[in-house]
Amino acid sequence: MMKKFTFFLAVLLPGLLAHAQEAIPLKGDELFGSLRARHIGPALMSGRISDIEGHPTDARIVYIGAAGGGVWKTVDGGVTFKPIFDKHNQSIGSLAIDPTRPDQVLWVGTGECWTRNSVTIGDGLFKSTDGGQSWNRMGLEKTERIASIQVNPKSPDIVYAAAMGPLWGPGADRGLYKTTDGGKTWEKILYIDENTGCSEVTLDPQNPEIVYAAMWEHRRTAYSFSSGGEKSGLFKSTDGGKTWNKIHTGFPTGQLGRIALAVAPSQPNRLYAVIESDKDATKGLYRSDNAGESWERTNGDFELTVRPFYFSRIVVDPRNPDVLCKAGLSGSISRDGGKTFKALGNMHADIHDIWFDIKDSDRMYVATDGGLYRSWNGGSVLEMVKNLPISQFYQVSLDNATPYKIYGGLQDNGSWYGPSESPGGIENRDWFSVGAGDGFRVYRHPTQANIIYSEMQGAEYIWRYDTELKQMKIIKPYPEANEPKLRFNWNAALNISPHKPDRLYVGSQFLHRSEDRGETWTKISPDLTTNDPAKQMQQNSGGLSMDNSGAENHCTIFSVNESPLDENIIWVGTDDGNVQVTTDGGKTWTNVVGAIEGLPKNTWAYQVEPSRFDKNSCYVVFDGHAQNDMKPYVFKTTDLGKSWKSVVTSDVKTFVRHIKEDVENPDLLFLGTEMGLYITVDGGQNWSQFTNNMPPVAVHYLAIHPATNDLVMATHGRGILILDDVSPLRQVTKEVIAKDVHFFERKPTIVREDSPFVEGGDTGEFVGENPTRVAQIIYYLKSRHTFGKMNMEIFDKDGKRVADMVPGKAKGINIVTWNYQYKMPKIAKGKTFSSGGFATPTLPAGTYKVVLTKGAKTYESTVALASDPRSLYTAEDRALQYSTTMKLYNMTEQLAYVVDRADALRDSISTKIKTNSKLGKGLEPVQKQLLALKEKMVVTTGDNYVSTAEPQLREKIADLYSEVSGYLGRPTNAQLDRLTGLEKELENAEKAVGEVVEKVNGQLKKSKAPVVSLRSQEEFMKSDS
Amino acid sequence: MKRMKLVAALLLMTLSVQAQTADEILDKYFENTGGREKWASLKSVKMSGKVKVQGMEIPVEIVQTAEGLQKVTINFQGKEITQMAFDGNEGWSTNFMTQKAEKMDAEASANMKQETSDFPDAFLNYKEKGYAVALEGKETVEGTETFKVKLTKKPVKVEGKEEENVSYYFFDTENYVPIMTRSTLKSGQMKGASVENVMSDYQDADGFMFPYSLTTKYNGQTGESIQIEKVETNGTIDAKSFAFPEGN
Repeated sequence: MMKKFTFFLAVLLPGLLAHAQEAIPLKGDELFGSLRARHIGPALMSGRISDIEGHPTDARIVYIGAAGGGVWKTVDGGVTFKPIFDKHNQSIGSLAIDPTRPDQVLWVGTGECWTRNSVTIGDGLFKSTDGGQSWNRMGLEKTERIASIQVNPKSPDIVYAAAMGPLWGPGADRGLYKTTDGGKTWEKILYIDENTGCSEVTLDPQNPEIVYAAMWEHRRTAYSFSSGGEKSGLFKSTDGGKTWNKIHTGFPTGQLGRIALAVAPSQPNRLYAVIESDKDATKGLYRSDNAGESWERTNGDFELTVRPFYFSRIVVDPRNPDVLCKAGLSGSISRDGGKTFKALGNMHADIHDIWFDIKDSDRMYVATDGGLYRSWNGGSVLEMVKNLPISQFYQVSLDNATPYKIYGGLQDNGSWYGPSESPGGIENRDWFSVGAGDGFRVYRHPTQANIIYSEMQGAEYIWRYDTELKQMKIIKPYPEANEPKLRFNWNAALNISPHKPDRLYVGSQFLHRSEDRGETWTKISPDLTTNDPAKQMQQNSGGLSMDNSGAENHCTIFSVNESPLDENIIWVGTDDGNVQVTTDGGKTWTNVVGAIEGLPKNTWAYQVEPSRFDKNSCYVVFDGHAQNDMKPYVFKTTDLGKSWKSVVTSDVKTFVRHIKEDVENPDLLFLGTEMGLYITVDGGQNWSQFTNNMPPVAVHYLAIHPATNDLVMATHGRGILILDDVSPLRQVTKEVIAKDVHFFERKPTIVREDSPFVEGGDTGEFVGENPTRVAQIIYYLKSRHTFGKMNMEIFDKDGKRVADMVPGKAKGINIVTWNYQYKMPKIAKGKTFSSGGFATPTLPAGTYKVVLTKGAKTYESTVALASDPRSLYTAEDRALQYSTTMKLYNMTEQLAYVVDRADALRDSISTKIKTNSKLGKGLEPVQKQLLALKEKMVVTTGDNYVSTAEPQLREKIADLYSEVSGYLGRPTNAQLDRLTGLEKELENAEKAVGEVVEKVNGQLKKSKAPVVSLRSQEEFMKSDS
Repeated sequence: MKRMKLVAALLLMTLSVQAQTADEILDKYFENTGGREKWASLKSVKMSGKVKVQGMEIPVEIVQTAEGLQKVTINFQGKEITQMAFDGNEGWSTNFMTQKAEKMDAEASANMKQETSDFPDAFLNYKEKGYAVALEGKETVEGTETFKVKLTKKPVKVEGKEEENVSYYFFDTENYVPIMTRSTLKSGQMKGASVENVMSDYQDADGFMFPYSLTTKYNGQTGESIQIEKVETNGTIDAKSFAFPEGN
């Protein structure tokens, strides 16, 4: 029955010596307890969205599927969005809403369908029957990408799913699938071959037995892309997919590529298809007015033919068959049945989907590489939705400011930096742009706070940027005379040195080093790649539509890192699978990849992480996905690459992009995988996925801040996520987890003195979460506490109880937050509230005792508070502030008691007069006197808003108390003078009430009536009223 | 308490690895918390304790009756505030500014009215109430293995539109008591947020096991906690105190 109630209210540093760490088999929640990731966005550049679907009858409800950021739902026409798919794969290909049960049944097809170089993989189809609260896996796990889902509107257990299938290799898990039992079983009803997937399925809305499906032959490698072939085609079935006919009458002959297809909902015989062919003259939009029997080409404009792998989508106005939109670089709209088009209004480039409002075609939603846009006037003007933190970071780095700032580059959205903390939360306006194009690696100069390095795709530009003067300089290296052209990866290796602040590294096929912030470059290596000419044919990439963007550049250096322990040791990883190391600052290089057992040849060396504990040690992460190999590869050497051991286990289910060694405990490692964050506390013997407020999003890069111990994650779809203060994880040992209760060591909590004014956070804009300022008490519980009492109290050095807390009771690590405020004072009862009375005194710096009581047992620890090192105040200032605050606190309570006495006396007199009217003559004037006294002590009229009464003594004391307690420095002289005045007033009031009590009792005695007995101050303080 | 754990342990031992059904879980739940008959005979519950939110500690009293009357009263600066009251037909609360009673909107009252039979527990005779219950496998919450039971109640109206009313209960697989519930906020600024109520400190009160500690989390972040200090069952309840104070 309890569930209703809430409705009512609203290191142990293991030695640095090599040693065998004992395995700690604690997994998941049992280990992480209530540690929780913090989302800070940003949402101002947002990120790529692959699909939009709306509710069939409620125009306020719209869903978006992000390329790497999950599924989001708005119920208010796009003002606010909430994620609804956070426990599952965040790469979304398509969404579908059951038109017969739109509030219950939703379908999500994972795996983005726009197959750019950085596209990732899905893991099948999901269904919700409770409006998105929970999801069930419905098969097709190996299809990698689901491009479209169609629910039969007359028989909703019949569902079609277009599976594109593996992108980087052949495979039979592709084609068109059909279920007739709501997803329990699937039948592959249209299949061509191992290289040809189904890229689109659509139904005739009036006769859903008519099914259209587009098949696409395509393949990607790390160094090439091929769209099109003999097998691509458009098919039609009129019997729910039992039999199929190719419907190409009017289409070009020869090889075809990706085909976009749409049926006009208001006139189902009208079809539109966009064809990718091998001749410019035959590419473009085709229209059929006879349900696909024949086609006529109507338009071949750039927007219709550009990059079919990225933009093959047509959306027809639900009410007008002549109005249609085509996704594209800018997106375009036709109002004459596809004969002519005009561009959609200004917005972020790269349009992937469009949704027409179900009631008003002037209202449109548009999915782009830079988030979601809305139009109110048919697509001429578009406003951005600033509430979707689905940004796709490639990298993250940090600086040493307080609070620290976060730097990184994003897919098609430049380079940025923003704060880890900001007044009122981290808002869009807190972020600053520091690079154009696609952004990748960004670093702040280690000693010059204004200087930032950033780059764009293929190191076309590398910038040095002064954030104060807003000046930029291009500092990239150029080929030397008689040298081949430099090959840079799309996401080119750029790094700074942990030893020399002005040093920079850039990797082409060579490693380039600068000692003067990029003014001069020295080539310090030969070609470190395999230099395989077969992987350097990018000018021919794309297939039927040439696509040489630089995205497939290969045989390049991808990762470079100088050892934090020795500047002459530099590690390099290449995209074609070499791991190179030098121990003499680049004079000689050794390719050490051959010593790794169990690693397929040419697997992309994604990251090299030299150890900060031992200069001969290094971790290397390999990513095989572009060779159709989704296994995790993480290796460690302790002898400069002569031998390697794997430090990944079967706990990790997918491929890996990044590893980060903790800054203190060498056995604590963090792994960025394609589906979330994994952590080990035993040097890689056991890995656990971290899932607390952490969706299984692709984690591309990790950084740890050495002062705050925060783990900062660059996610490719959910922006920057932070796991604040990982230090408790350093302390997890076999001994700790054997104990019933174990308190973790904590650094003293800084009692922050800054209290900024806050403006902003308006609905419609994303606001990122700030780190907590309060103290945390962190402990491990061996088992969950369910039965009997468990509480936690905090005592000061004198043994006085200063807080009574609600402890966490979960098995694993619990975090209890303590705001180090003493409780509110008891305040005199008046007609209205005293706002000052809600203030709480901040407890002074020092060590406090924590007592956890669990059943009959108690466990003790301490928690320490420290003064803000950036403080303007002296210890004397603070002491005076605290003593003044407490004086006013006590005065507030003292007055409360005086008022209680006056009230009780009046009540008592009333009763006595009622029972003995003879007493009235003498006591009635006393009642008036008491009322007059009370009116001076507390407010007795008005309300809490605009009918506020004149403040009385209670308000005067409480307001001064609130003002003095809110500032941790010395009270002003004016405040101290005011205090003296109020002390006098309180004394007078107390005296006056006391005199009346005596007077009354004198009279009563004279009349031989029983005297009035009032409760003691102690009794009053104990009561709830 | 010891007795209960023993019972649970015995149950566990005799249980083969057979699949559980939602009804079997509920049977054990009721058995372990007082027995179905005893629960069915419950007339009223009055709980008093403290609400702890953002460092504040606020005295609270919660009363519910078998007739569907409900009231939550808090005490602020010595003044009683009705956080929420329901007279069987209409809900009301005290306006913080004027400290006068104001009625809830009709939709909220109607939604409350259709759940009056939830007392003392929505799962008790749930079929008669028109509710549906389903076991949806196991999930680890609070670091603990639980049975995930889906409860579907009658649809509620949200902003004029009927919506399905689903919540999930997580029953500890060891003791068969719920340690958490999860639902989605249906209205307000936080609409769509996941709300979890974490329950612990089960203790005996007049032969019933009640969770004395209840913490609400919004999207995983701790909001308010209620710490119950006293539970009174079948006490004297003044029905008049639930009525909207006319002319206040």
